[in-house]
Amino acid sequence: MNTANLLLINRGILKLIKQPSAPIMGFAMSLFFLLVYNAGIGGIGSLDAFGEGGYLSFVFPITIISLAMGSSAGAGQTLNADMQSGYFRRLYLSPAPRYILVVAPMFADILSSMLFTGILLIIGAIFGVSFQFGILSALGVLLLSFLWSLTLCGFSAGIMLRTGQHQSAAIVTNAVFPLLFLSTTFLPRELITAKWLLAISWGNPVTYILEGNRYLLAGTSSAHFFHIALIIFTLTSVLSVAFALSSASKIKV
Amino acid sequence: MPAEIQIQQLFKKYPNGTHALKGVSLEIHKGQFFTLLGPNGAGKSTLVKIMTTLINKDSGSFLISGINPEQNPSKIQNIIGVASQDNEIDPSETVESLMIFQGRLFGLTRPEANRRANELIEWFQLTTERSKKASALSGGNKRRLHCALALVHRPQILFLDEPTVGMDPVARANFWDVIIALNRKEGVTVFLTTQYLDEAEKHATGMALMVGGEISYSGSIAGFKQMVNPEDELSLDDSYLHYVKTLSNQESLIQ
Repeated sequence: MNTANLLLINRGILKLIKQPSAPIMGFAMSLFFLLVYNAGIGGIGSLDAFGEGGYLSFVFPITIISLAMGSSAGAGQTLNADMQSGYFRRLYLSPAPRYILVVAPMFADILSSMLFTGILLIIGAIFGVSFQFGILSALGVLLLSFLWSLTLCGFSAGIMLRTGQHQSAAIVTNAVFPLLFLSTTFLPRELITAKWLLAISWGNPVTYILEGNRYLLAGTSSAHFFHIALIIFTLTSVLSVAFALSSASKIKV
Repeated sequence: MPAEIQIQQLFKKYPNGTHALKGVSLEIHKGQFFTLLGPNGAGKSTLVKIMTTLINKDSGSFLISGINPEQNPSKIQNIIGVASQDNEIDPSETVESLMIFQGRLFGLTRPEANRRANELIEWFQLTTERSKKASALSGGNKRRLHCALALVHRPQILFLDEPTVGMDPVARANFWDVIIALNRKEGVTVFLTTQYLDEAEKHATGMALMVGGEISYSGSIAGFKQMVNPEDELSLDDSYLHYVKTLSNQESLIQ
């Protein structure tokens, strides 16, 4: 990798370190969810459907998913700040490849998401979340989290680049948020009584990442959810990166 | 002498239907201090944006130092420096760190980038501001920093699009001292667009006048003044006003 690329990636990371509010808020929100869900409805964890890991292991994947949602707008916001200040044009006129101007803040975002996912996994392990396959489970969760973060981050950056609006960086998060509640977020499929919700959850990609994580952690789901999640989110990651890169050529400099 | 910038029949139409360039052709020679004049909306900034690879042309061709910028944008970025109308500064960084980062981005080693930053900070009289964040600088000092950043990588061609807007007279004089020294001593080619015609007249050796997306005059400043008023010696400012007024009167008559 050439020096200009490394410099820009380093700049993206330093920007996040200097202004860490987005990832820290995402992390705090995730911990909050874990705490209140477990405290509020953790008692039902004694039911067989939640497996040996109990409700904590069952609900843990939602904290991983919400973590990425909280911080995925960071790249879009960095790009927006550079565009508003005019600095993006200066970078655009440097010999650095133009794709790296978009990729660098995304890279920083993903890195921070991975870092906080790792911290969440450690906290989860301390508080008794089960890991069905030991370290492989943790790696599997990190992989799914990477693909999920990349998907959100790429679409978020792409939309921001196309619209040039600061607020639009959060469009993706807002669009995805309802999907969290149209899935098997709080209860396993067999305990959901509303048929419409069951039907929607089948078509909801969030279900597959949730259940994929549950296969790895609580062991309450089957492997095919994990495999389907890998396929879906690899595809969405590729699409989102392509969308973000193609958006770079739409920027009005 | 071969032209350093060769522009032939450039056309550009924006999606809103505005024909910004209607067949612009120009030649600027190596080491020349060239100024492009024209009223607001004449297409000057569009021409600069195309030449600096910020936007694409519709048709026509142009070469910079014999290189086609559309085919080799990164090669071109290394030989041109651009100071546009609007500041292009990261407000959260210090003067010094912006300079060093800019140098590193253009391939200077860390010690080289440090040396160049020190040199430019001194040239542009930003010594007392070097550790300040760009957001804390006065408007004039932001402009100085903006212009200094365009010079970090020692470009052989400088595109200056209304560079002294917002500078006080002292800052303007200081800015021109630096640019003139680069032009005269180091042979840097300067392509300037400005509304300050006194600056253009004082420094430029060649000029073109652009009106409505077309070049209506190209040659020397003395030649332009002679063409507008062969009998009296008018300033460039007066000649320009006279010429533009005549053109708009002719247009009104046609309409």
